[in-house]
Amino acid sequence: MLRTLAGRLGTFAGAMLILLFTGGPVLMSLTGSLVPDRVLFDENKGLLDEGIRFDNYRYIFTGELPDSYQQAGANRAMISQTARQVPFALVNSVQISFSAALLALLLATPAAYMYARVAFRGKKLTFMFLILSPLVPTVALVTPIYMTIEAMGLLGSKLGIIFVHAVKAIPFVVLIISVFFRKLPVELFEAAQLDGCTRMQTFLRIALPVALPSVAATGLFAFMLSYAEFMFSMVLSGDSGSRPISVVMAALARNTDVSWGLLNASIFIAIVPTLILVAMVWRFVVEGMLRGAIKG
Amino acid sequence: MSTIERFPAAWVLPTLIPVALFTIYPVAEALWTSLHQVMVLMPDQPFVGLENYKTVIFGDYFADALRNSLLFVLFCAPLVVIIGTAVALFLRRPFFGAGIVRSVVLLPWVLPGAISAVLWVWVFHPSFGVLNGLLKSLGLIERSIPWLIDVNLVFVSIVAAHVWTQVPFAVVLVMAALSATNEEAIEAAKIDGANALQRFRFITFPQIKAMIVVLLIYNALTAFTAYDLVYAMTGGGPGTATTLLAFQIWRESFSMYDFGAGSAVAFIVVAISALLILAISKAMPSDLFEEA
Repeated sequence: MLRTLAGRLGTFAGAMLILLFTGGPVLMSLTGSLVPDRVLFDENKGLLDEGIRFDNYRYIFTGELPDSYQQAGANRAMISQTARQVPFALVNSVQISFSAALLALLLATPAAYMYARVAFRGKKLTFMFLILSPLVPTVALVTPIYMTIEAMGLLGSKLGIIFVHAVKAIPFVVLIISVFFRKLPVELFEAAQLDGCTRMQTFLRIALPVALPSVAATGLFAFMLSYAEFMFSMVLSGDSGSRPISVVMAALARNTDVSWGLLNASIFIAIVPTLILVAMVWRFVVEGMLRGAIKG
Repeated sequence: MSTIERFPAAWVLPTLIPVALFTIYPVAEALWTSLHQVMVLMPDQPFVGLENYKTVIFGDYFADALRNSLLFVLFCAPLVVIIGTAVALFLRRPFFGAGIVRSVVLLPWVLPGAISAVLWVWVFHPSFGVLNGLLKSLGLIERSIPWLIDVNLVFVSIVAAHVWTQVPFAVVLVMAALSATNEEAIEAAKIDGANALQRFRFITFPQIKAMIVVLLIYNALTAFTAYDLVYAMTGGGPGTATTLLAFQIWRESFSMYDFGAGSAVAFIVVAISALLILAISKAMPSDLFEEA
């Protein structure tokens, strides 16, 4: 009895510790977006002394100035432009990241299957090349890739960013999915071969459906890679029509005129939709795998 | 399936060609640049041999930046993998609210580096920081700890922030690897009286070792080539306390407009990364390349 109680307390403490570490800074940002700056920075005031306000959120979506700005009487039109880009940038980001993830999966999954299940000439060399390629520092690649995209006529469009993000995700997609394909039981493939399946049929009808949760998880990773990517998004995007959220957020973060509350509200808006997606896909992926989908 | 086949171009080239276009060509371009004097507004780009490399290596920052980057890798990569594995193992147990914890763990993942940097600056901020505030109200400290000002503490701060951003990916991959492990063996070991540590050491660990090695490589690389988070948090300072090598490329190229020197740093970073990778790949389980 005592033992189970201790176990439960341990589980609770562990869960709290994990929540505090991973969620703490984000919770801090949520608080910062709802509590006025003057309360936050005043050591003598309690956090909720003046209640919570949704001013900053209202401003981002409708353009109605927060009370604190009107009180200060400062003209902050420049900032308003940047903060009000957040909703559009979010739509751009989701489009870009989703397309990039899909393109990366499409290009890389067949290769991952080959690297996992078939011995061929040049396998080790090309696999090594794929694994090693992401270590080339991004800063060294920016200028030449910029010129390539310019030559393709894709500068300032979402397509250019999608293409670069997909290619940047490919090595990781190949590496991760090949680990999963390798785990599938050999008998599965032998049976398919006996039944006269071609390699393409085995891949499409047997390997792919069984590994689908893992493929989806890897797609989620590619999505996140693209969603958080900053350097290429910055140099390849043009006006607000193609600018993803990471670029807008970086501009906000470095803009010393933006109030802490407004910055935090933007941060929170940027997190929420992906969080929903992550929660959904996470359930599908992890629960699916835990039910033994991977063991077939 | 045991015979070695010819190169399956249709399956593999759609990945190899784009990746080569975005790595081999830019690296060749950077190599050319590093051997020439390339400055903005200077139409002539004369060949200067290894002059750029000399300038960089004997420059004021290089030794500090290299040491900082290696230390950063040494702290970050193992910490991410250890914390990630611990969290993944913990999240395997069923408890009330486990779904929520599993989702919250992913939070740091969805944030661009610039955002994470802002959050962590506010955690560690010497006067307004949440951490100091918390420690004070718990009565653990009396005066604020100068997290981002002290030369040693600032390193702790950037390591914490970087590890925070990388843990979710490690958790996801270790959990995925764990889900494919053999549950019966664990149960059998429990019955045989093996404690939790023994069960992990002898049963779970061997089954997820491949994934852990992959993660270690990946994290050594992300730490070695990290620049945006650290730059946004500290700007490389105070002094050169958090100046990392990858950040130095950006500095030479875009703030000093010396693309030749910038490319030279880039090349040095690539070379060191390659050594690092080769060293770790020796430890990589051989079945990563062999047919299952």
